Amino acid sequence: MPVFKTPFNGYSVKFSPFYESRIAVGTAQNFGILGNGRVHVLDLSPATPTLTELVAFDTADGVYDLAWSESHDSLLIAATADGSVKIYDTALPPNANPIRSLHEHTREVHSADYNPTRRDSFLTSSWDDTVKLWTVDRPTSVRTFKEHAYCVYNATWNPRHSDVFCSASGDCTLRIWDVREMGSTMIIPAHEFEILACDWNKYDDCLIASASVDKSIKIWDVRSYRVPIAVLNGHGYAVRKVKFSPHRRNLLASCSYDMTVCLWDFMVDDALVGRYDHHTEFAVGVDMSVLVEGLLASTGWDEVVYVWQQGMDPRAV
Amino acid sequence: MEKAFNRQKILLQHLQPSSSQTHQSSATLSASICAAGDSAAYQRKPAFGDDVVIVAAYRTAICKAKRGGFKDTLVDDMLAPLLKAVVEKTNLNPSEVGDIVVGTVLAPGSERAIECRMAAFYAGFPETVPLRTVNRQCSSGLQAVADVATAIKAGLYDIGIAAGLESMTVNFISTSSRVNPKVDIFAQARDCLLPMGITSENVAQRYGVTRQDQDLAAVESHKRAAAARASGKFKDEIIPVHTKIVDPKTGEEKPVIISVDEGIRPNTNMADLAKLKPAFKKDGTTTAGNASQVSDGAGAVLLMKRSVAMQKGLPILGVFRGFAAVGVDPAVMGIGPVAAIPAAVKSAGLELDDIDLFEINEAFASQYVYCIKKLGLDPEKVNVNGGAMALGHPLGATGARCVATLLNEMKRRGKDSRFGVISMCIGSGMGAAAVFERGDCIDELCNVRTVKSNGFLSKDAL
Repeated sequence: MPVFKTPFNGYSVKFSPFYESRIAVGTAQNFGILGNGRVHVLDLSPATPTLTELVAFDTADGVYDLAWSESHDSLLIAATADGSVKIYDTALPPNANPIRSLHEHTREVHSADYNPTRRDSFLTSSWDDTVKLWTVDRPTSVRTFKEHAYCVYNATWNPRHSDVFCSASGDCTLRIWDVREMGSTMIIPAHEFEILACDWNKYDDCLIASASVDKSIKIWDVRSYRVPIAVLNGHGYAVRKVKFSPHRRNLLASCSYDMTVCLWDFMVDDALVGRYDHHTEFAVGVDMSVLVEGLLASTGWDEVVYVWQQGMDPRAV
Repeated sequence: MEKAFNRQKILLQHLQPSSSQTHQSSATLSASICAAGDSAAYQRKPAFGDDVVIVAAYRTAICKAKRGGFKDTLVDDMLAPLLKAVVEKTNLNPSEVGDIVVGTVLAPGSERAIECRMAAFYAGFPETVPLRTVNRQCSSGLQAVADVATAIKAGLYDIGIAAGLESMTVNFISTSSRVNPKVDIFAQARDCLLPMGITSENVAQRYGVTRQDQDLAAVESHKRAAAARASGKFKDEIIPVHTKIVDPKTGEEKPVIISVDEGIRPNTNMADLAKLKPAFKKDGTTTAGNASQVSDGAGAVLLMKRSVAMQKGLPILGVFRGFAAVGVDPAVMGIGPVAAIPAAVKSAGLELDDIDLFEINEAFASQYVYCIKKLGLDPEKVNVNGGAMALGHPLGATGARCVATLLNEMKRRGKDSRFGVISMCIGSGMGAAAVFERGDCIDELCNVRTVKSNGFLSKDAL
C-alpha cells in the first residue's frame, strides 16, 4: 500500500471530496512544538500504488489541521499553529499562495471543518478557547463562539443540518451549537478528562462520537445525552481523532497517542473491529475516503503518511 | 520560546490524564531531552541515511574438520559461493562493492589473502573490487564486519562485504617453535603461548565452574541447535555449496551438495558426556564434549549505507550499532566477553538490559558458563539456536556466522527483539563484541520516496 515520507511530523491527513486519488497532508517541524510547517497535496496513482507530491506549501509555523473546500475542488483551508487560518488554491503554484491568510485566533488553531451542506462557510477551533465561523469571500470571521473554558480541539459540522455543529474541548465538555442561536444549545459533560475530538454520524444526524484523554471513545445521542449509548475502550493512551465512516453507519476510525489506528463498530459488544500498529510514533491524523469505500489514510509523528484499503496491512508493499 | 513551552505543556496533558477540570500540572510527567532515546521504554526509531545496515548475511553449513563434508574442498571454493550469493540475492552489481574484508586465522597470511582474492574472481567480481584479510584470532569474522562498517561510516565507500573463512582441515593450531627468551620475565607474554584448553581449565579453576555445569551447557547447546535445525531455522542463512568428497578407502571422487550442519548431536546427554576424559589436564574439566568443535566453514555479510539500501529497495536485516575489542589476562582469555560486551553496549549508547538476544561464542563451556553468570544474562536470551559446542567453531568464520544466525533470529522474533549482541573470547587474552539493531519495519517498504530537498525556510507570506 502506498506510503509517503514527509520531512516534518505529520499532523493531519484529508481525502479530497472531489478527486478520489487526492490527499492533503498537514505537517509541523519538531513535533509541532517549534518551527515551520508544510502542506503537501499528494496524488495516489492508480496503476502503481505510490503517492506522488503534486504541490507543497510552506508555512511559518506548524500546520495542525486541514479541510478541503466542498464548493471548489482546489481550495484547501489550513489551521496553523501561529493562530492564522490560511486558504490555499492548490491549482496555483506555491509563490501565488496562500490566497488568504486570516489572523484572528490569538493562539494555535487546532482544527478546520468545511460546511458540507451549505458549502459556503467553514469552522476553525483554537487553543484560544473559541470557535470561529468564516466564509471564503470575507476577510474577517462571521462569528466567534466563545463559551468553552479551555482549548477547543475540534469543531465539526452536522452532516445534515447546515447550521448545527459540535465542538470538543479540553474543558471536558462537548457543546452543540446552532449558528442562528446566541449561545450553545446543548452542553454534554462527556468525559472526566480533556476531549480531543468529535464527529457526527453520517447516517444518523443525532449521533456524536467523542474521543478523550481518558483513552475512550463515547457515542452520544443528542436526544438523550445523560448517558452515552456506547463506550469504546481499547486505546492505550489519549485518543487524538475520531471519524465516522461515510459508507457504513456503525463504523468509525480513531487514532491515538498509543501509535495505533483503530476501527470500531459501536453497535456490537466486541466493538474493536481492527487495529493497525503501522506507525512508530503518535498517530495523530486519520481519514476515510468519501469516494472510495474502505480507503483509509493516516499520518503521525513518525513522518509517514499511509493510505490503505480496510482489511489490508498498511505496510504491505 | 514561551510559545514552545506552552505547546509542550498542552501536549503533555494529553499523555498525563490528571483530572482536568483544574489545569494544574502535577509534575509526574515532564518533557526531557532524552525521553525518546534508545534506552527509553517509549521507543523512538531514529533512522538516519548514514546508518550502516546489513542487507544480507549468509554462511555455509559447518562441517567437521578432516572427516566432514568440506574435507576435500579448497578454501576458495567455500568462500566463492557465499560472495556470489550475497550479490545475487540482492541483485547488486558486484562492481559497486567498495571492499571485501575476510577474517581468517590459521592459514599463513599472504597465502590465504591470495586464495581469497581468487575466490572473488570465481564469484564473478571484477578486478576493480579490492580484497584484504584481517586476523583478530577467533573474532576475525566479527572484526571484518566492524572494519567494513567503520569504512562505510568514514565515507571510504558505500557498500562492502565482510566475510570469514576457516578450514581447520587444512590449517592447524600450532605454536611457534622459536620462543623469545624474554617470556621468562614477562609472565603475561608467556601466557599467550598457553594452549587454549589450558586457559579453559584456568577459567574453570579460578572462577569455580564445575564439570557438571559445563556438560549441562553442552547438552543445552546441542538440544537448541538440533531443534533449530529440525525446524528449518538455519535454511534461511545457509548457502548450499556444490563440492566433491573423496572416499578415503577407494579414492573415489563423488559430487555432493553441502547444506546441513554436521556437528549437532541431538541425543547428547549428561551420562555420555560424563564418560569423556579431560582433554588437556589429568584432573581437568574440559573435554571434547564441552569444548567447541574443530570445523570448516565460511560466512559473508553485505553491508551498506542505509540511504543506498533504501535507494535500491533492499530489505534491511539489521543496523550496525557498535563494536568494542578489549584485552584481558591471557591466562584466562575465555573471560573476554565479560569485558567486551559492556564496552560495546555502552558504545552503542545502551544498557545491558536493552539487549534482547545474545550470540556468545562457546569456545569452551567453562568460559561460556562463566560469562553468562558474571554478566547476569538470562540464559533464555543467549545462543537460542545453539552455539559452537554443537555447530562448530571455524575460527575465522564464526563472527560472520553469528551475524547471519543472530539477525535471522531477530527477524523471526519481530518487534520484541530490538537489539542483539555478538561476542567471543580471543586467544592471547581479548574479547570482542558488536551490537546490532533489528532492521525497522518502515524499511521493508520499497516505495518510500526519498525527500529531495529540505527547505526549512518558510516561503509563506505573512
